[in-house]
Amino acid sequence: MRNLFPRWVNTIPVKVILSLGIIGGTVTAGITYYATPKYTRVGYQPTQPVSYDHSFHAGQLGLDCRYCHHGVDKSSHANIPSANVCMSCHKNIKADSPLLAPIRDSYFGEDENKDGKLSEGEDLNDDGILNEGPSVPWVRIHKAPDYVYFNHAIHVNRGVSCVECHGRIDQMEVVHHDKPLSMAFCLECHRNPEKSLRPMNEVTNLAWSIASKEEEDSHITQFHAGLDIKNKWGVNPPLSCTGCHR
Amino acid sequence: MIKQVTEETLENGKRYWKSLDDLACKPSFKNWVEREFPEGASMLEGVQRRGFMKLMAASFGLAGLGMTGCRRPEHTILPYGKSPEELIPGVPNYYATSMPSAQGHTPLIVESHEGRPTKIEGNPSYIPNGGGTSIYAQASVLDLYDPDRSKSSLKRSNENEDSWDVISSDQVKEDLVNLMKEGKVAILAEKSSSTARKALSELLIEKGVIWTEHEAIDLTSPEYKLGNAIGTDSGLRLIPNLGKASRVLSLDCDFLGNREPFSLANTRALMKGRKVLSAKDAKKMNRLYSVESDLTITGGVADHRLRLESSQFIAFTNLLAAEIFTIRKSGSKAEITRLQERGNVLKTHAKWIRECAVDLCSKHKSSVILPGGHLPAEVHLLCYAINQALGCIGRTVQYQVTDKPASNLLSLQQAIGKDNVKTLIFLGGNPVHNASSLDWGNLSDKISNKIHLGDSVNETTSICDYHIGQSHYLESWDEGETWDGTGIVPVQPLLAPLFETMADLELLQLLLGSSQNTHDFVKSLQEKRSSTDSYEDFLRLGVEKQIPTYYSKEIPLSELSKYKEQIPKPPTLDNLEVLLIPDFHAWDGRYANNGWMQECPDPISKLTWDNALLISPALAKTLEEKYPSLGLIPEPTMLNKNGEIAPDAANFDHGKQKAPIVTLSISENQTIEGPLYVQPGLADCSIIATLGLGRTEVGRVGNGTGYNAYPLLGNNFDRIVSNVSIEPTGEFETLANVQEHWSMEGRAIVREGNAEEYISDEAFASHMGAESHSPKIWGKDQEADLKFKAQTTPRGNSSYEHPDHNYEKSETPGLHQWGMAIDLNQCTGCSACVVACQSENNIPIVGKDQVLRGREMHWIRLDRYFSSTARDGAELPSDVQVSFQGVACMHCETAPCETVCPVNATVHDEEGLNAMAYNRCVGTRYCANNCPYKVRRFNFFDWNKRQTDELYKGPLGKKNDPLPDMGKNPDVTVRMRGVMEKCTYCVQRIQESKIQVKVKAQRNALLSTGKDGADIELSNEDIKVPDGTIKTACQQVCPSDSISFGDLSDPESEVSKLKNNPRDYSVLGYLNTRPRTTFLAKVRNPNHSMPDFASSPHAAREYHDKAHPTHHEEGDHDNHAKEGEKH
Repeated sequence: MRNLFPRWVNTIPVKVILSLGIIGGTVTAGITYYATPKYTRVGYQPTQPVSYDHSFHAGQLGLDCRYCHHGVDKSSHANIPSANVCMSCHKNIKADSPLLAPIRDSYFGEDENKDGKLSEGEDLNDDGILNEGPSVPWVRIHKAPDYVYFNHAIHVNRGVSCVECHGRIDQMEVVHHDKPLSMAFCLECHRNPEKSLRPMNEVTNLAWSIASKEEEDSHITQFHAGLDIKNKWGVNPPLSCTGCHR
Repeated sequence: MIKQVTEETLENGKRYWKSLDDLACKPSFKNWVEREFPEGASMLEGVQRRGFMKLMAASFGLAGLGMTGCRRPEHTILPYGKSPEELIPGVPNYYATSMPSAQGHTPLIVESHEGRPTKIEGNPSYIPNGGGTSIYAQASVLDLYDPDRSKSSLKRSNENEDSWDVISSDQVKEDLVNLMKEGKVAILAEKSSSTARKALSELLIEKGVIWTEHEAIDLTSPEYKLGNAIGTDSGLRLIPNLGKASRVLSLDCDFLGNREPFSLANTRALMKGRKVLSAKDAKKMNRLYSVESDLTITGGVADHRLRLESSQFIAFTNLLAAEIFTIRKSGSKAEITRLQERGNVLKTHAKWIRECAVDLCSKHKSSVILPGGHLPAEVHLLCYAINQALGCIGRTVQYQVTDKPASNLLSLQQAIGKDNVKTLIFLGGNPVHNASSLDWGNLSDKISNKIHLGDSVNETTSICDYHIGQSHYLESWDEGETWDGTGIVPVQPLLAPLFETMADLELLQLLLGSSQNTHDFVKSLQEKRSSTDSYEDFLRLGVEKQIPTYYSKEIPLSELSKYKEQIPKPPTLDNLEVLLIPDFHAWDGRYANNGWMQECPDPISKLTWDNALLISPALAKTLEEKYPSLGLIPEPTMLNKNGEIAPDAANFDHGKQKAPIVTLSISENQTIEGPLYVQPGLADCSIIATLGLGRTEVGRVGNGTGYNAYPLLGNNFDRIVSNVSIEPTGEFETLANVQEHWSMEGRAIVREGNAEEYISDEAFASHMGAESHSPKIWGKDQEADLKFKAQTTPRGNSSYEHPDHNYEKSETPGLHQWGMAIDLNQCTGCSACVVACQSENNIPIVGKDQVLRGREMHWIRLDRYFSSTARDGAELPSDVQVSFQGVACMHCETAPCETVCPVNATVHDEEGLNAMAYNRCVGTRYCANNCPYKVRRFNFFDWNKRQTDELYKGPLGKKNDPLPDMGKNPDVTVRMRGVMEKCTYCVQRIQESKIQVKVKAQRNALLSTGKDGADIELSNEDIKVPDGTIKTACQQVCPSDSISFGDLSDPESEVSKLKNNPRDYSVLGYLNTRPRTTFLAKVRNPNHSMPDFASSPHAAREYHDKAHPTHHEEGDHDNHAKEGEKH
């Protein structure tokens, strides 16, 4: 009974450990790549009920972001505009376009004549409530988890541009998810805000980048300018849990 | 262990305890205390661990297969078609409105998120309440989202008597108009202080409608008792002005609690006079005497308290009047002798009464006597005469002239008897349940149409053939008066009715045939009244001033001699008296389906989801002798000769004492059944029964809670019932009592001192507790200022460096350092903070079964301690002092919970908050285990998602109705199963304020420079939140301002000043947890000459006796203090 096990059996533990390591490594690498927002979220580009073209409105026409998303500098949410915002122009421009039918339905509701001009009291129904149709079901693209309380107002007012999280919306015909918006993404900026801070008036100018001297790398110019802003304004983004989780 | 405790118990006589079991050192209780968590709290009921693993193995396997949800589901965002004015999604709106009630409208400011009311606050424009609200107002927002609300109108089906058909509101309108045309309409309305309803009712009476009003617990009745006694047609409403009072005597009058109206203003005014920040204040501190049969929160605040059965108050008041008239030299000798004779039965209390009278007279013009509403007319008249003799009418008390009373139930009965009623409309209320002495079956046979307008189907609906759903007050227009008549307040809807319901005003308008809507009607009333202020201003401010008329005519003392009927004999232990009081949870039954109210523990008995028949220890002892099987009083743990624990007669089930159910009866028809609960502090021969629970037709929450005491309420609605006999049924019930939980025995937890002690030594609280004996917690930095201590967390005497809470890239140690100070001297125990916190922080309701297992989720635990005079053996004390202490997460600087979390789910932030990251928590519960204050709450189940009776089915359990979710605060995470939670200092309010301050500073600076903003300079001062901006939910609701919150790094902030007050101390300070929430010691103000005077509060004496068991003499704390300094 001395040589019950052949000699190669001695290598089994090593092989098992090695293969477990490889499997473990592969799974970890796989999850890190395939199951994080960088892969799962970036590039999400759903079809919207109305094919609103940001590159035309915000890019070519140069509408400011806040014309439609007017709550962005006052509220935690950057609101999706209600139909009356669209209709303030489209009552006159392309007033009959079939592409805008959902907007018109949402705006006019039970208003029979749909002339676009409301006489007094016409926009109120019998109960004194605003007359409106069904909401336009815009598909949500950017969503923070329920336990994350992101506040737009503080970012926009403290010199963090829309472009930092949403990308070049002004160049997108159809909006897609551009940045991962994962916790690592948030913390990256909270740790080094100077890389992203800009003058308040340039926040909604998505094309803006700091004018740098010829020989200097624009990153370095931005770093110094950002640092200056950070110190002057007392920007000190929270790094603790309570900053975002409540 | 047990033996040691026994000796201690026998030798010292333990005097500080939380429950009877605790007092008796029951083995089950000892076991319970040692367990740290209540039985069952940490067990997976019904499933063995091994079985669980077997079961779960299958799920683990399946989990790997189900890789379906790689993409998140598609969400849509639905914007408005036309956005309403002033609405920015994500920014809450606030509207001024008021909560209607018969006790005066309560002015409110209501927070609304995208059209959904979520949180109720008091309107500070109404000065007497000062922004506080009652617990009922806090809870009323839940009623709006009650899934058992009436969602439409119903009509009894023609074919089947028991089924109801849903009918449209147009049909209802048509039917009402037709019935009105037929004539012979009577209305039975619940009482209201609505001026709009009153105007409509007058028009209806002109049209020949019989208008009657009924309220089972009618708080307006005392004003008519007094009016009648004095001989005016109108009512004379007693309005206390306690802000000016320095001596107050309450005669069975719970003027700080829920039994009397105007309690918010009373609390605010009285407690302001008890605020002591220096020795100077203590000299001016007011003194409260309370004579009562029940132990109320008013009695808890009182400096001297006398237990007396409610029926004995006639004699008491006569004797008191005799004393006061003698001292004040008003009234003839014969008068005084007559009064003395009428009060003769209470000779035993003569000294107490005399000394009290002397003290009241010594501060005449600033003393006041308040009689309880349920006491007979003679007492009210006597009190008027006494207040007059003391010269306090017009100063500390006003008698407001009110309108003549409306016709009552009696006149309705007569009208029905004369066949004058064809259609009866119940306008709100529930008279079939709360006026059960009437023969409703017989009455309803004589009426052909019975219509019930109510917020839900209740007992009254069962005799009706038509039910109209009533709109909530947050859905309707109205206006009404405050109780003191100094304000008219609007009721403004925050949203259109959620369901097809109708407000009472709308119904009355229909009956009048008016096409005006209620908004226009209320507006027209306001415009008629005021020519200067616009209606919009009225709505914005929420209060309009009004000057009431007051009565101050002198009445001759000879008036008093008209009462000749015999004084009721004192009740004895065989011939008991019952006092019927409104239930804390449900009031008269109207909040019975409100889960927040049901689960909020009664301030004194700490019962949830139930009411009990409260009896005194003396009565319990008698009953125990008569019926030994009751097991009412647990025996102290004794060892028999063999060294075994002697058996106990009390009945226990899972460590909970079972309450014996008894029958109380006056006559054969008038009996009730309910569980007995022994409550120290009651008058010996009084039984306290509460009205409001035990309803039969109620929603899912109120179903099966408590017993119904209304059968004891007779035709005259007199709440003092005598000649009651008591008989055990032999059955038992377990009551969900939260008071035994988390016992902190024998330590200086609540520190108390008398005013005189405080004057001689302002820092008396710091000479108590183990930390006064130990080396200084902060070491060499003991005397450093708060800012330094809060920002740097000095090491003190610890051998370890404290963790640095500043993050690698942060350059400042946090702009603010948050902290809280709770003044125990201001707290009455009203419990409004508990519900306010629940409403603000989305705290779930867990149900009676889970409360029995100790799993209630309230973030604020309002501990109630009793203490008594020296006592030996096992005798239960009858005279107790009550101390309250609200305990929530203390946000310790060196928090024990943080060091044990394996996943860093609970960590410190740079501003001193003990943060709880729910999404990181894996539910080890180690933190709760390590928390010395026991303030962490664990989500054992998906309370928010599953129905409370389906919890054990896990994911298979039925889901909750989604309607209450509409009232959740969108700024606070709704926690799921398996995570820990606790007080956050309302971090959502902190963050919101910080953001608002920064945004404002940035914008203002941009506007003022006019450049691109890169050169703006903001200092720390610009972006710091000013003191007083952030109010935590508990702070905001507190009528007596006992909680303050703010920045410790600002030496000028209110909280810093309070923390630097010598009364300030930390609970369990010797543990070196350095809590950010500290307490200010309680100061009592007893009178030297009173027979029950004690030189130190019972609580303090107990501490000193325990700390120095060798010398028991009174006043040894001085030695002790010196000793403490020596260390």
